[in-house]
Amino acid sequence: MANTGTEQLSADQNDPKIRAAQEARLEKAWATPRGWRYWSAVNNTEIGFRYTMTAFGFMLFAGVLGLLIRTQLAVPENDFLSAELYNQVFTLHGTAMMFLFAVPIFEAVAILILPALLGTRDLPFPRLSAFGYWCFLIGGVFVCGSIFFNAAPSGGWFMYPPLTTEQGGLGADIWLLGLSFIEVASIAAAVELIVGVLKCRPPGMHINLTPLYGWYVLIVGGMILFAFPPLIAGDFLLELERAFDWPFFDPDRGGDPLLWQHLFWIFGHPEVYIIFLPSIALLAMIVPTFAGRPIAGYSWIVLSALGTGFISFGLWVHHMFATGLPSISIGFFSAASEAVAIPTGIQIFVFIATLMLGKVTRSVPMLFALGSLAIFVAGGLTGVMVAVAPFDFQAHDSYFIVAHLHYTLFGGMLFPLVAGIYYYYPLVTGYMLSRRLGVWAFWLMFAGFNICFLPMHLTGMLGMPRRVFTYSSDLGWNELNLISTVGAFIFAAGFLVFVFDGLRPKSHRDKAKRNPWNAGTSEWVLEIPPKPWGARSIPHIESRYPVWDSENFTKRYDEGRFYLPDAEEGRRETLITSVLDAKPVQCLRVGGPTWITLIAAAALAGVFIFATYHWWTATAVSGALALAAIIYWAWTGTAEHPEKDEKNIGMGLKAPLYVSGPRATGWWAMFITMTGDLTAFMGLVFGYFFFWTVHEQFPPPDIDGPGWVWPLIAGFLLCGAWTLTYGARIWNGRGDVILFRLALLGGVLLSVMGIGALAAGPWSFGMVPTEHSYPAIVWALVLWTGAHAAAGIVMQLYCLARSFAGKLTPKYDADIWNVTLYWHFMGFTAPVTALIMGGFPLVA
Amino acid sequence: MSDNVEKEVEHETGEGTDLWRVILAPVIWAVHFLVCYIAAAVYCEKAGRMADLLPAQLIVGAATLAALGGIAFIFHSLWKVRGVSTVNDNYNYAGSTPEERHRFLSHVALMLCVLSSVAIVYAALPAVFLDICR
Repeated sequence: MANTGTEQLSADQNDPKIRAAQEARLEKAWATPRGWRYWSAVNNTEIGFRYTMTAFGFMLFAGVLGLLIRTQLAVPENDFLSAELYNQVFTLHGTAMMFLFAVPIFEAVAILILPALLGTRDLPFPRLSAFGYWCFLIGGVFVCGSIFFNAAPSGGWFMYPPLTTEQGGLGADIWLLGLSFIEVASIAAAVELIVGVLKCRPPGMHINLTPLYGWYVLIVGGMILFAFPPLIAGDFLLELERAFDWPFFDPDRGGDPLLWQHLFWIFGHPEVYIIFLPSIALLAMIVPTFAGRPIAGYSWIVLSALGTGFISFGLWVHHMFATGLPSISIGFFSAASEAVAIPTGIQIFVFIATLMLGKVTRSVPMLFALGSLAIFVAGGLTGVMVAVAPFDFQAHDSYFIVAHLHYTLFGGMLFPLVAGIYYYYPLVTGYMLSRRLGVWAFWLMFAGFNICFLPMHLTGMLGMPRRVFTYSSDLGWNELNLISTVGAFIFAAGFLVFVFDGLRPKSHRDKAKRNPWNAGTSEWVLEIPPKPWGARSIPHIESRYPVWDSENFTKRYDEGRFYLPDAEEGRRETLITSVLDAKPVQCLRVGGPTWITLIAAAALAGVFIFATYHWWTATAVSGALALAAIIYWAWTGTAEHPEKDEKNIGMGLKAPLYVSGPRATGWWAMFITMTGDLTAFMGLVFGYFFFWTVHEQFPPPDIDGPGWVWPLIAGFLLCGAWTLTYGARIWNGRGDVILFRLALLGGVLLSVMGIGALAAGPWSFGMVPTEHSYPAIVWALVLWTGAHAAAGIVMQLYCLARSFAGKLTPKYDADIWNVTLYWHFMGFTAPVTALIMGGFPLVA
Repeated sequence: MSDNVEKEVEHETGEGTDLWRVILAPVIWAVHFLVCYIAAAVYCEKAGRMADLLPAQLIVGAATLAALGGIAFIFHSLWKVRGVSTVNDNYNYAGSTPEERHRFLSHVALMLCVLSSVAIVYAALPAVFLDICR
């Protein structure tokens, strides 16, 4: 049996002086930079906190836009906002709430609290989190700021062409490029959080003991990888049409606006669950605490979260019921939309069962939790109604849908989130939020919400369409709209009470005691107020509720009797463990404060922002700067050679300081990133075959190219580059450094020629992308695969340079492992591109 | 714990395979869903809106049988793992051992088989009730 270590009290830890010295060293290693250098901090507590505050900032901004909408609609024939400004306001309201609040707040809260839940000191890539945060901040300010220049997107938050391809101005470009940029942050967070849950659990925490929040984060991270990339692919195509007139969505030239709807909603519907699941996950942590007992049906929650995660990908067409698809297609999606109610409902029943079996303590988090269940159930039921296609035909695009989506989002996301903030506030800040103000905030928000949105069901049934900027007084919508507006302001008042409570001066507040809610999960063992080092020692976990179940857990933790109680070398260290059974596999040294993440994010922002204005030189310069910054970051901050092979991690165990391949976190990060990237590529492939489906003849008979010769050559060359990269890794592993370098060099040459051959196909046939959707999609595939091969070349050259610099050796080979993994994905992308381009026209 | 039991547990619970097995049934659901949707959508697009749905119905039927068969197979293998522990004769799987982790994941996978088959049957129903592509 695994020794729990209870008896392995090393003599050192009994000596208070030694413990104090350990704490001083930990404090120094994990110290938060002061003054203006604070902004270079990358630790999860700083980044998570900033991320949360920023997301709430955008939420308040979008909330004000919501109030403007309600003010405009309060009375008929209102002229408070012009039609054009109203369009910008409602578009930005939806866009900011979804992309700048709902999704990022998941990443923010997860980065903030996940390490505490897992008893780890930090997530494996703190600098990546920081980079993601800066991307989010810059991109968000860019998108939101546009409204002050009367240039905000105005085509609705889902940007349907042909409206958005016909519209002039910059609004749609700001939306497409700004949000693509922010999606970088989402993918970065997905990488960080998936690796966090799989590889950073404390020793002993087998996957069946993972806090439920961890399960949800894992599942949602996986969903992001399959949901966001199709939108990135869609953004890529729509921006190609707007900037260069490639007619993907123009029916006159073989395009189809429905392609955008598919790509958008393949993202858009899972996204609803991407924001719902992590919030409901907070309830899974809160409910057991206030019921005073373990969750009833842990495995049922895991089942339902996984089931919801999957089935939510089978719902996207229910947003397109009214587009005239065949009944059978509608039927499949209607069926899946009904089926998703089963796992969603299971979660609600588990919470109710836990409350019924336990002895419930009244508290503000519980108030919000119960309020959220009530609202969410109502939203879920209208969801089942609109999943029935004939009903949807009637309710589509009406205020009924507005009411439905706000019920699901407030009940499924906002209220649980506020509950979570009340719950975790003491852990993060060391202070309690006021109970009195909390009760006020809840009732104002709960009442205001229902007064605002309940009447909208009726307004919709009476025929009021979405997005109208005003209405005439004889339609019977006057009173209902006025009531909704009053409710919106009541809700806003409640929310302001909450914001006031969160931000008021510390001197007026109650200090929190340790574990203020008497919770059982491991994050509540942390000191309050929080220490910069996170965990005093990384605990050994043997139960789902160690604070309740494990004897002397807090004492042993405080006395540093678990893992890594010290920072002997003054480095920031945390433990990496195996995926299923959490056996220690590495003592990982994570990055400390740095400005490079901010520089890299700012340079990358330049690429997207300058491209919006078609300032191509500035875009290229920014791109080069971003590349240089990222290479500098990787060169100086990753895969460093440790001063010794392994170190003592406490409790009688040793762990290596350097690992490579599948045991290393970097390899997992590459795997996860490339999985998302592959999904985006599949989005483009979907586009190609979508055109084939909707056209009588595709490729069109009057357009030739790209032939089969050049694609075949390109496929072989790029597969050759892949093989040589793979060979390089093997030869390096065998110690044959010369052969390793030659193979890499050969890989670079073959890649360069491969890119040339890819482009030569459509080029030699004179295919013009603006002429028809066929050459456009072929060129889009060439661009995509060519750009990926170019990135592959950069990586091969990077490995070569590292080898010459003595940083990549047969012993320290993490770089080449990761680059080879990248090329494995190229080994799929390149031949598939070649086969589709060259082979499909032959069989079609 | 005797050596034999420990070896058996290690053999049965081998690292790395469990997580994939958990999502096998929902993956079958996803493949079934895509096959049905793509087959029917492409067929109806090419054959026209008044075409008889029979070919699509046959594909949906065959895919459904194959999917349910696959899930039944997985279900059968998981059924043997769930339930009472071979190590300590109880039904719990909230302990800190590879054996309990394995039984826990098998239990979740088993329930996902049930959920996935229900969702598969749901997805097949439209093919039963419709008869043309309209």
